[in-house]
Amino acid sequence: MKNNQWIWLPVAAISTSVYATTYFSVEQAQQAIFPGEKLAAAFVTLSDEQTRQIRKMTDNNLCNKEIKVWKVAGGGWFFVDEVVGKHELITYALALNADGSIKQIEIMDYRESRGYEVRTPGWRKQFVGKTIKDPLQLNRDIGNISGATLSSKHITDGIKRLLATYAVAIK
Amino acid sequence: MPLQSNSLRRARPLLGTLVEIKATGAAHILPVAVSEAFELIERVHELMSFHDQRSDVSRINAADAGSEICVDAHTYRVLEFARQLGDFSGGTFDIATAAVLVQQGFLPHHRPVAAPSFEVTYRDLELIENQRVRWRRKGWIDLGGIAKGYAVDGAIAVLQSHGICSGVVNAGGDLRCFGEAQAMHVRQPDAPASPVYLGRLSDHALATSAGYFSGIEENGKRIEPLVDPVRRSCTLWGGSISVVAPNCMTADALTKVVRLAPKYIAEILARFSAQAIEIKHYKMRTCGVMLLQQETIN
Repeated sequence: MKNNQWIWLPVAAISTSVYATTYFSVEQAQQAIFPGEKLAAAFVTLSDEQTRQIRKMTDNNLCNKEIKVWKVAGGGWFFVDEVVGKHELITYALALNADGSIKQIEIMDYRESRGYEVRTPGWRKQFVGKTIKDPLQLNRDIGNISGATLSSKHITDGIKRLLATYAVAIK
Repeated sequence: MPLQSNSLRRARPLLGTLVEIKATGAAHILPVAVSEAFELIERVHELMSFHDQRSDVSRINAADAGSEICVDAHTYRVLEFARQLGDFSGGTFDIATAAVLVQQGFLPHHRPVAAPSFEVTYRDLELIENQRVRWRRKGWIDLGGIAKGYAVDGAIAVLQSHGICSGVVNAGGDLRCFGEAQAMHVRQPDAPASPVYLGRLSDHALATSAGYFSGIEENGKRIEPLVDPVRRSCTLWGGSISVVAPNCMTADALTKVVRLAPKYIAEILARFSAQAIEIKHYKMRTCGVMLLQQETIN
């Protein structure tokens, strides 16, 4: 074989503006992580003082005041949170054991956009209340995407924030 | 819906990225197989993380020249392959360039000691029998360019050992599939959220490296976490390099060799039965063994 024997290929770019995958609904994630358990919603609205404390503990300026959390009857907690990256919006579940240690983390929903629409409220609003069955303009058949690694730093930061929230407002 | 009950798709944040597993098989074994596959990835993450101070990589990086470190069998396998590929690529693939990545801010400096010399190469890390290693000259390694692929291969082996018919493990863009052929897409470096169709793939791995998510600006100049082995400094990907190979560790590692050692491309792709795809300025070209099944695109 000759050196550098490159062959040009046609480029067929996908003309979608949204790529999304739903892994779990809230109920499915709860049952997968805490099978057979009863979970009771225990949503919390953080006070300004609690928000300040959490920011101080995590060096993180983003702080959602509405915390979606469920108490597990047999012990433990289940959080649902959302993080926004440069190109992506991710909803994930964090499950804690009764002692506050991490039991499991599962991605529930992953949405990606072509540009920077992810950060605009309008783009995000189109998903509110939607489920996998809704006829949204989503491209669901491009399941296998190779590419440079997308960092999970936003999720790591989100988990740190939730652990601080647990310590400050829930425990 | 019998088909749906026999497929499972899950994702977790691991290896510094999002790892997705898709599997098709008997409904009663799917959840166990997928969860054990994630556990294997978590194990590889714990052993080979540069950030985690308890990892094998951190123990190697904390060791002084001359002292022996016993590592896990997984870590030793990766080190052996890294050495083989280093030798085969004339030193282009080099895991001992972590000091450069630390200096450029791509990896954290969490040790109370001065960084080792940039001159240290992978050849300074001796691999002794019984899973032990020893620095001839003290250096720092980073397995970021290879461990992800190894973890994907391990997860695939777990799924197969459970009798899963068909599956895909995708660690943030480095993926491997078995069973049913899968349509593959790759991100474009100039528009990462608009993937390009590559073709179908079965029983192979596909890994891509590029700088679009990882570059940083320094003094008005962009740099990316890719170390030029000759200049011992960070350079740019310039485009996106994908490699298709029989396993993901090879595919992952070869992306760096293809980018940094163009003169070895033909030989290396033939040696590892691999195919390379480069995308730059909205143009795509390929080289090596044709593994992706191309169809006519209308």
